Amino acid sequence: MGSLEGIFSGVQLAFSFQGILFVFLGVMAGTLIGMMPGLGPISAIAIMIPLTYNMDPPIALVLMAGVYYGAVFGGSTSSILLNAPGISGTVATSFDGYPMAQRGEAGKALAIAAISSFVGGTISVILLMLFAPMLSSIAIVFGPPEYFALMVLGLTAISSLADGSTIKALISAVVGMMAVTIGIDTQTGTTRFTFGNPNLLEGIDFLVVALGLFALAEVCALIINRKQTTGKNDSIGSLKLSKSDFKDMSGPMGRQSFLGFILGILPGAGATIASFIGYITEKKITKKPEEFGKGAVRGVSAPETANNAATSGAFVPLLSLGIPGSGTTAVLLGALLVMDIQPGPLLMTDQPELFWGVIVSMYIGNMFLLILNLPLIPYIAKILSIPRPMLVSLVIMFSMIGVYSISFNVFDLYLLLIFGALGYIMRLLKFPPAPFILAFILGGMMEESFRQAMTMSNNDITIFFTQPIALGMLIVGFLSFIVPILQSLRQKNKNAVE
Amino acid sequence: MKKTWLLFLALFTMIVLAACGSADSSSDEEESASGSSDENWKPDQSIEIVAPSSAGGGWDTTARMAAEGFEEEGIIDQGLGVVNKEGGGGAIGWSYVAEKSGNPHHLFVGSPPLLLVPLNGQSEYGYEDFTPLANMISDYGAFAVREDASWDNLNELFDDMKDNPDDITVIGESSPGSMDHIQFVKIAKAAGVDPKSVKYVSAQDGSTMTNLLNGNADVYSSGVTETIEQVRADKIRVLGVTSEERMEGDVVEDFPTAKEQGIDETFVNWRGFFGPPDMSEAEIAYYEEKFAELNESEHWQETREKFAWNEMYMESEEYKEFLSEEKESMQELLNELNIQGE
Amino acid sequence: MLKPIHRKVSLVLIALAVFYLYLAFQLQSFGNGPIGTDTMPKALGFLLILLSVLLFFTKDKETEEEKKKRHIPKDDVIKILGVLVITFGYIFFLERLGFILVSFLFIYSCSLFLGYQKHIANLIVSFVFPTVLYSVFTILLGINLPSGVIPF
Repeated sequence: MGSLEGIFSGVQLAFSFQGILFVFLGVMAGTLIGMMPGLGPISAIAIMIPLTYNMDPPIALVLMAGVYYGAVFGGSTSSILLNAPGISGTVATSFDGYPMAQRGEAGKALAIAAISSFVGGTISVILLMLFAPMLSSIAIVFGPPEYFALMVLGLTAISSLADGSTIKALISAVVGMMAVTIGIDTQTGTTRFTFGNPNLLEGIDFLVVALGLFALAEVCALIINRKQTTGKNDSIGSLKLSKSDFKDMSGPMGRQSFLGFILGILPGAGATIASFIGYITEKKITKKPEEFGKGAVRGVSAPETANNAATSGAFVPLLSLGIPGSGTTAVLLGALLVMDIQPGPLLMTDQPELFWGVIVSMYIGNMFLLILNLPLIPYIAKILSIPRPMLVSLVIMFSMIGVYSISFNVFDLYLLLIFGALGYIMRLLKFPPAPFILAFILGGMMEESFRQAMTMSNNDITIFFTQPIALGMLIVGFLSFIVPILQSLRQKNKNAVE
Repeated sequence: MKKTWLLFLALFTMIVLAACGSADSSSDEEESASGSSDENWKPDQSIEIVAPSSAGGGWDTTARMAAEGFEEEGIIDQGLGVVNKEGGGGAIGWSYVAEKSGNPHHLFVGSPPLLLVPLNGQSEYGYEDFTPLANMISDYGAFAVREDASWDNLNELFDDMKDNPDDITVIGESSPGSMDHIQFVKIAKAAGVDPKSVKYVSAQDGSTMTNLLNGNADVYSSGVTETIEQVRADKIRVLGVTSEERMEGDVVEDFPTAKEQGIDETFVNWRGFFGPPDMSEAEIAYYEEKFAELNESEHWQETREKFAWNEMYMESEEYKEFLSEEKESMQELLNELNIQGE
Repeated sequence: MLKPIHRKVSLVLIALAVFYLYLAFQLQSFGNGPIGTDTMPKALGFLLILLSVLLFFTKDKETEEEKKKRHIPKDDVIKILGVLVITFGYIFFLERLGFILVSFLFIYSCSLFLGYQKHIANLIVSFVFPTVLYSVFTILLGINLPSGVIPF
């Protein structure tokens, strides 16, 4: 079928002067934009669209793809350093990345994130190259019942994200899910819990919740703990990873490259769910789950590998089917249409040099990202040596502008303050914020797919138990939810006996 | 400590004073802008076109291409910027422009949701609150089924639907009562299907085509362009489009219209430009002239071809009438569907 | 009986759940079938009540040290409230005065309030940081932040 020729022309394109130049520019712009408050891959691509109007389409696509995975790559920085996740895909990174930075190992945390992202990105590009045409069938296997099961599987993480009281974790999750019911109900178009306020129609933006619960709540803690100002926090620690660090990383990197890639292929799942599921599976597999949440190497490596692998995965349905699987790829698809490229089942045969060119350029792009980012880490991590009062002011402003640059709505800033207060109160009362944000991200999709499935089956609930994939995931989800609870109960009984 | 507080007080007063000052001066500006509207009005600052959606969508593309056209063809010599005001299915962007009453430097792109969203009670502003300037293009809806589906034309589909409405799932991007739902129901009703019996599922996460292909949904109600690639790859078939006559273009010319299948109904996805409330005659005339010029330009012709849009130019008055008719027919449909605002 | 903090929290949560349920029961449920707009909210409301009741009856395992941690000295409460007020001011004036000016005032005053005494460094940072950010957003990225009283 001449696919070898196609690959060859793709390699030629990717290694041409222009190809290398633009993938370099793309990943650089992407990482920088990804580090900006509030700007993730979706805005990064949107920002680049006007620039590509007059470019050669394949080169433009190389550039856009670079911006996309570059932004995912750069997004982890603020999660690790400031506990301020700018995009949903890096929330899980902050669970262990921030504690690690607080321990005085910010450099190490950033290095782990960079290397894991690189490995996740590279392995998944290899998978993309080998299996893209074949895997496209996976992308369309998933319908509402399967998504519902996947969301349930993701939500079972709540029991493993509990730090102490399971009940408190569950309460946190339920309130998180309540927060996501605010706004227009997608399935009927009715409004819920908006109190007649038009600003709430679209629901509460994820970023408002994430930055409030994590960054602003952290700011309150920073204000209070003035005694710890000097000392560990100011040092960024060594960048060097020890042999045992690498050993710790190798497992998650290997596994999550595959898992993240597959989750990325599924339309709608994407980097966020991949990073959470990556975090959870590693916590379940590891022999030392108690380290998670306190700055575990695996806890940083797993979500970072997974979210970058998922980014490549998202290209499978986009390039081989012409189906955008996420908001980001939808914007990317829009940009391609402007350039007269119509991705679809015929793209690979019609324009092989474009198809393969992008994929090959992704290898190069990932190399650039690593080379660009590693030497920069010491400088970026210097943020932490800013004096405490100044850091507090800057983080607040950073969060405000992050939210404002998405909605251009002052109302969201007040909401941000409310969530900041909520996050701080939750901390004081020892309610973990992680289940809240997880439920907030997954809850909306879970309700939506549940109701879609029920409508399709004319309200026959067996639809979830007759589809093998959905059933399998529900069983795994049920077990992974119930087993830790049973275990902790048994533990308690034992303690009581003793 | 005391000193700090004093400093604060001073700063605070300064801010308040400055804020009041700025508020005054900006309202002055607006007054002078609308005050100077004699016979010949000209923009005296850069013009902002609001796309009430995120970048990359239909509204955004229309806004960006128009801004580019105005600049490249030298039709408007002031600067033009496109701003994305996303949210509420458009409501956030509309209320933003509504607040710019009296400042004709803020325009926005509108299409049927401007009628539907307010009718569904999700926006306090409707088209009546704005100044229609010019409609530019039109697009149409398409109803697609899988390649191996048993229906060969719309009539077979609708007949089946009359008998077993529960067995046929229609999927679309928008929520019930908005675009994708309404365009399907409008045509189906004309073919004798009870609008309320249509089983419509909304998938707003980009999974509509997937769900058609994997069999979770049976009919996909969407825009014509979204279907082209999958039709070319023989994965799906388009049973009917909502245009008056066959469309022109490579694949789309093979799509039969609902009309030629004996269903006397159409649905137009019009797209045009609106200004803030209370624009003067001179201001409207200025924009009318400019949009007419853009419509005739080579740039716009190429743009239309590139995106497979159809020409559909209407000037302000005509547009207003068209909108009021459209609104009435939508209202009727929504009443029948029992979807109402408030 | 209400002494342990988690019991008070539990009552607050029950109140929240009741309020949420009250609103949920006012939602109109149309659409076909038993699963409607209000199904999930109702389920969530009852679930929260159930969990809160469970929380109420859990044993209090709080150690003295943890209790102490929750207690914030008055000084710190004032600091947090102060920052909150300044932040309110920031939001309130953002669109009125424009990003650069408000951010300048915010960073300077907030850092000063929290005890940062190096005025020169403070002035420089509060000027440079917002200006750079503003330029990046508006010029490079084409995202318009409010310009306010500064005319560019």
